Amino acid sequence: MSDSRYLSLEKLTLSYGNTIAVGDMNLDIGKGELVALLGPSGCGKTTTMRAIAGLLQPTSGTIRLDGVDVTRVSANKRAVGLVFQSYALFPHLNVFENVAFGLRLKGIRGRDLENRVEGGLKTVGLSDFASRKPAELSGGQQQRVSLARSMVMEPKVLLLDEPLSNLDARLRLEMRAELQRVQKQSGITMIFVTHDQVEALALADRIIVMLNGAIEQIGTPEEIYNHPVSPFVADFVGFENVFALENGKMKTTAGMADLSSDAPGGAVGLAWRPSMVALGSGPYQGTVRGSSFAGGTREYLLDTPLGPIKAETDASLAAHEFGAVLNFDLPVAKAAQLSRLG
Amino acid sequence: MFQNRAEAFALVLPAAVFAGVTFLVPVVVLLSEGFRGADGWTIQAYIDFFSHPLNRTVFVRTLKLAAMVTAVAAVIGYAAAFAIVNLPPKGKGRMIGLVVLPLMISPVARTYAWIVILGRTGIVNQALTSIGLSDEPIRFLFTETAVFIGLLQLFLPLMIISLVSALENMPRDAVPAARVLGANWFQVFWKVILPLTREGLVIGGTLVFTGSMTAYITPAILGGSKVLMLETLLYQRVTVANDFVAASVIALILIVMAFAANLLLKRLATARNKR
Repeated sequence: MSDSRYLSLEKLTLSYGNTIAVGDMNLDIGKGELVALLGPSGCGKTTTMRAIAGLLQPTSGTIRLDGVDVTRVSANKRAVGLVFQSYALFPHLNVFENVAFGLRLKGIRGRDLENRVEGGLKTVGLSDFASRKPAELSGGQQQRVSLARSMVMEPKVLLLDEPLSNLDARLRLEMRAELQRVQKQSGITMIFVTHDQVEALALADRIIVMLNGAIEQIGTPEEIYNHPVSPFVADFVGFENVFALENGKMKTTAGMADLSSDAPGGAVGLAWRPSMVALGSGPYQGTVRGSSFAGGTREYLLDTPLGPIKAETDASLAAHEFGAVLNFDLPVAKAAQLSRLG
Repeated sequence: MFQNRAEAFALVLPAAVFAGVTFLVPVVVLLSEGFRGADGWTIQAYIDFFSHPLNRTVFVRTLKLAAMVTAVAAVIGYAAAFAIVNLPPKGKGRMIGLVVLPLMISPVARTYAWIVILGRTGIVNQALTSIGLSDEPIRFLFTETAVFIGLLQLFLPLMIISLVSALENMPRDAVPAARVLGANWFQVFWKVILPLTREGLVIGGTLVFTGSMTAYITPAILGGSKVLMLETLLYQRVTVANDFVAASVIALILIVMAFAANLLLKRLATARNKR
């Protein structure tokens, strides 16, 4: 058993009635990795996570953990931790008893129990809150109790469902750092589910982008951010101007259009971020249909023969008027080269 | 909301007067009857009541049947309620409709339906004799079993409805969280579901227990004078013996038992929860 296949999903399929939520999914996750499952709601990421935890029975396929087939092992015997989006703390128990819940079930008692619970609370900085009830804690504190409750069980894999989505912007940054620190300190294998690419890029060692119950792309944050392989991933990470290529030309709503330079070999599509669109000169023309000030930058929506184009310039430059006709270029050298269109 | 208490008082007054005249006054008059002796206040009527063996039997039987109905309703009720709350919304609505349906049918009709099923020539006896399991009809009617079945059927919906609403108010992920932390289904029930639904259990339990204890029609039809309960005994004391003192004694016993049951259930439910 190699460490790079600590957790593997083999041809995993999950369905609700006739609806297939996840189809034929293959995935290997290494020991100690921090992985993000990224995708829009309904893409099957939460379903995948619940299957790994044993809360959903797969229709077919195998889940292997640490060399053992756990597909038929029930949730309470899997040694997988799960931090719920809703935190799912037990409202009738105080913080200490919430963290102790799983340990007590394991038969741990007395001094040993106290040490481990206190250790868990210390890791998340909540030592002084042991006797509080969950209702007396803020969202961020509840989140950390939930994290501690899973961590003290020393699970083989820790799953986190949208760990930062219920927190306000400031707490989110704090918790992000906290998660990274805890993960590095413990070396635990972590998989978190998110619909927020910023969160995935900032936290993960590796990102798995999912769409419609299948994996769309796997890569490091740099790979996903700079080299998306499909129109969906491109759009998701901010390449908002996406075109299919055919015989070296761009396919647009109004027919085929020439590129400003030769098409790269192998690519079936090209995509540009708004900031990559060069406004002012170039072979194309467009009319300004909308503009908005976004602090450091100004965003434009152009009506062009290629279809709508989103562009972005430095906000210190003079603003273009509504209805102004502008020349622009889509520099081929800067574009992300898509290897598939489906 | 109100400028002064007088306004609020004025609004409550009609209801208070009505309830006072029609409920409070007669109850106080009736109950004081049981404490009136030849020379002042006394509890002699209560001593007399409990010194009579038949009365003691009826008292114990009433408590026993009400407790059994409550316990069995709780077990069946949890199972049914858990299944119902895990149904998709459409199925959930239909199932709750089915559970509530019997409540819309008169208890007299429902109880007589049991005679059709349990009578000498009823469905059960016909089935038993025709497949040869029994040579002659078995007597189901006018037994404690018949009263038990009738009461359970009568009050089970109240338990199920109470537990369904309690289960629905539980935090959504509490059960899967307990599972992932290593709890088997038995532990999930005792450590998470029961403590988080105890209010529903107390409400349902109180309704079923007091309902079973004070039901009249079901023990009258299915138990008759062979299986007297406190309520049927009370009726008998008034109509047959014109004995309002005994009726007053029984009425107070029923009231006290109802409050005691509510307190006891609350205690049981919270004791589980202390740590």
